[in-house]
Amino acid sequence: MAKKDELLKSFLTHDLLVSKYKIQKEELPNTLSDGLNSDKPIIKAIALIIESLEKSPPVTDKELRTSVLLFLNTAI
Amino acid sequence: MIIKKIQIENFLCYYNEKSFHFEDGLNIILGENNEGKTKFFEAIEWLFNGTNTQLENLVSSKKFKEITFEESFKVSVSMVVENTNGEYKISRSFLVNKTKNNDIETRGLNFEGQETDLATGRRIPINGQELLNAIFPFQIREYSMFKGETELNIFENEEALPNLINLFSDAKPYQKYTDKSRFLRERAHQAVKESTEANQKNQRAYNILESEIFDLEREKERLNIFLSSTEDQKSKLEKNIKEAEKFVDNAEALSTINELIKKIEEKITYLNSKIDDNYTTSLFDEYWILQNFEPIHKEFVAKISEHSKRRRELQSQFDQQIGIRKGEEKAKAELINNIIPLPIGTPSKAHMEEMLHDEICKVCNREAKVGSEAYSYMMQRLTEYLETQKINDSELDTKETLFKFDYTNRLENLSISHEDNLKNIRLIETKIKDLFEFNDKKKKEIESLKEELEKQIKERERILGNSKIANEDKLLSIFKNYTSWQEDLKDLNKDFYDLEAKQKEILKKIESKKEDINKIDENSAVAHLLKTREILNDIENIFTDTKEKKFDEFITKLENKSNKYFGQINVEAFTGEIKFSKKRIGSDKVKIEISLYESGGRYFVPGTAVRTSLNISILLAISELANEENNETYPMIFDAPTSSFGETKTGNFLNLIYKTSNQKIILLKDFVATNKDNNTLFIKSEFNSINRKKAFWVKLERPFDDKDLSTMNTEVITL
Repeated sequence: MAKKDELLKSFLTHDLLVSKYKIQKEELPNTLSDGLNSDKPIIKAIALIIESLEKSPPVTDKELRTSVLLFLNTAI
Repeated sequence: MIIKKIQIENFLCYYNEKSFHFEDGLNIILGENNEGKTKFFEAIEWLFNGTNTQLENLVSSKKFKEITFEESFKVSVSMVVENTNGEYKISRSFLVNKTKNNDIETRGLNFEGQETDLATGRRIPINGQELLNAIFPFQIREYSMFKGETELNIFENEEALPNLINLFSDAKPYQKYTDKSRFLRERAHQAVKESTEANQKNQRAYNILESEIFDLEREKERLNIFLSSTEDQKSKLEKNIKEAEKFVDNAEALSTINELIKKIEEKITYLNSKIDDNYTTSLFDEYWILQNFEPIHKEFVAKISEHSKRRRELQSQFDQQIGIRKGEEKAKAELINNIIPLPIGTPSKAHMEEMLHDEICKVCNREAKVGSEAYSYMMQRLTEYLETQKINDSELDTKETLFKFDYTNRLENLSISHEDNLKNIRLIETKIKDLFEFNDKKKKEIESLKEELEKQIKERERILGNSKIANEDKLLSIFKNYTSWQEDLKDLNKDFYDLEAKQKEILKKIESKKEDINKIDENSAVAHLLKTREILNDIENIFTDTKEKKFDEFITKLENKSNKYFGQINVEAFTGEIKFSKKRIGSDKVKIEISLYESGGRYFVPGTAVRTSLNISILLAISELANEENNETYPMIFDAPTSSFGETKTGNFLNLIYKTSNQKIILLKDFVATNKDNNTLFIKSEFNSINRKKAFWVKLERPFDDKDLSTMNTEVITL
């Protein structure tokens, strides 16, 4: 399993996703690519952050803020 | 990464070029003390850090002695390493010249790197420092080289283990996620704030609330510092108390026993002062010999008495004869003068002078005026009397004595004195008997006290022996400190709870103020901005919790692996169980405490050998986990890590290390012995049973002068 997928999976095991966001286990993506296509804003935001931070070279803070905040502000 | 080769040239006792070709796995370097082991370790330290700026102190004296004025030679340490990317060489070197005055002159210090292209075999020069940091990062080097047993105790530094865990565990990649999610949440918050502040009224309220929150946050930080410092003090004190608890029972018993011993010793001293052993001299020598003196004395007394009587008889006869002769002479004289002398002394000279003065004859009671016949008569009689009283010189010279010396009187006095002493002599037997009985009784008492004293001293030794701290003063000082530490801990606990309560109160206030801001936001800010902020807040929590989880998982794995190694190193000896406990200090600092527990959960204070085993176990566990997590291995270099172990335990330790995965270079003085017949060193046959990939023996070339460094040359023998 790719490092990015492992990172995503490790974040998605958090209880908050079930308790607060009511996302069922079967709805959780297995890969980063699935995460980036998720219709759950929080999952896609996490995937976007992973995608940005694992890029080589990593994105700047400004690029990160733009991509994540822009996505969330428009998606919700 | 593995070290393939280390070459040392003219560095201290390493004269000319000396090479060590290492293998992956366990490499052992044996050597007696002062024969080059530590200099090997120091050569690597110098290569990595270049810390010793006094280069002239690193030069081989033997090499320097060989060269003449203006000749030069090179001092260098180089290392060839291999990792998954290729083969690299780093070397640090300088040149040495001899001056006219025979002084050392150094120049041209150089730190070079070299990469070998595996495909072409071409060597490409690169910056030495950059290469070193790339192939063997500083943070890893810091936990890879250990000089002596004490340096193994890196975990005394409370930041060391969290740093290591952050470095090696898979919590490390999560750090950037927590940092960036905080950044994003702050940006989202800023967006909400800007949206709310568009309304002037809100802006004022916002400013007031933010200023209050700012003050509260500052107060919270201030409390955090106090809390952290109190926690530190508490932790140190708890550690001291825990350690003291191991000894406190013994220390208390020691204190009681010391009191008892002091009392017994005082009593013995008192009884000794009462014993009068002097009868051997004052009674036996001076008196006891007189025990049979009484009959002798009686005989002596009788003889003295007889002698005295005889002497007196003789003296009386003599006196009578003298008296008769004197009387005859006197009567003859008086007849010549036709006078009748008065009896001598009657009337006395004083009476006659008185009568003359009074002009009365008090013999016949008649007047005798001056010039009268009676007066003249009295005067004549006085003159005649005075004449008779004059001592005639011839008479003196011819005075006859019967005995020239009078010893009889002295003998009589001696006899009387002996009579008095006889009374004491008769009591000697009783006195000696009484004294013997008294002394015997006291001696028996002393004997019994001495037995008790010996018993108590043995008990004290047992207590000291049992207590791991064999120093009595230290043990007693622990007992003394123990009580005061407990009092201090009570005070610190109270301070800590007070500070915690204050902190909770402040946190509550901050939350309340934040809620007020949220209310303003909810009523004023754009809804999607609020939602974005909420999601990013949750993402930050998810990232932080995940990192914590990974950190905790690593600690659990580390604990399990450390205990596995610990049990293997201490096979057939006490091990106990290593426990790692994480403690949060303040808001963002974590420390890991390592403790050892006996079965039953009792805290155990390890001795040096157990402590060394514990430290090595943790280091091996970290190394193993680092390999698992990072897919890269790093060598570990230990100089005399097991000096408190016996040779058998060191052997077991080496065989265990052999099974571990990454490269280890271990310098030991074990397994080297001296042949007493010819005073030469040899490697013991026991070393043959030690599993290893490569072994070397560093030893000074013989003969050498132990006072002349220029005769020193360490030879490297591959075993």
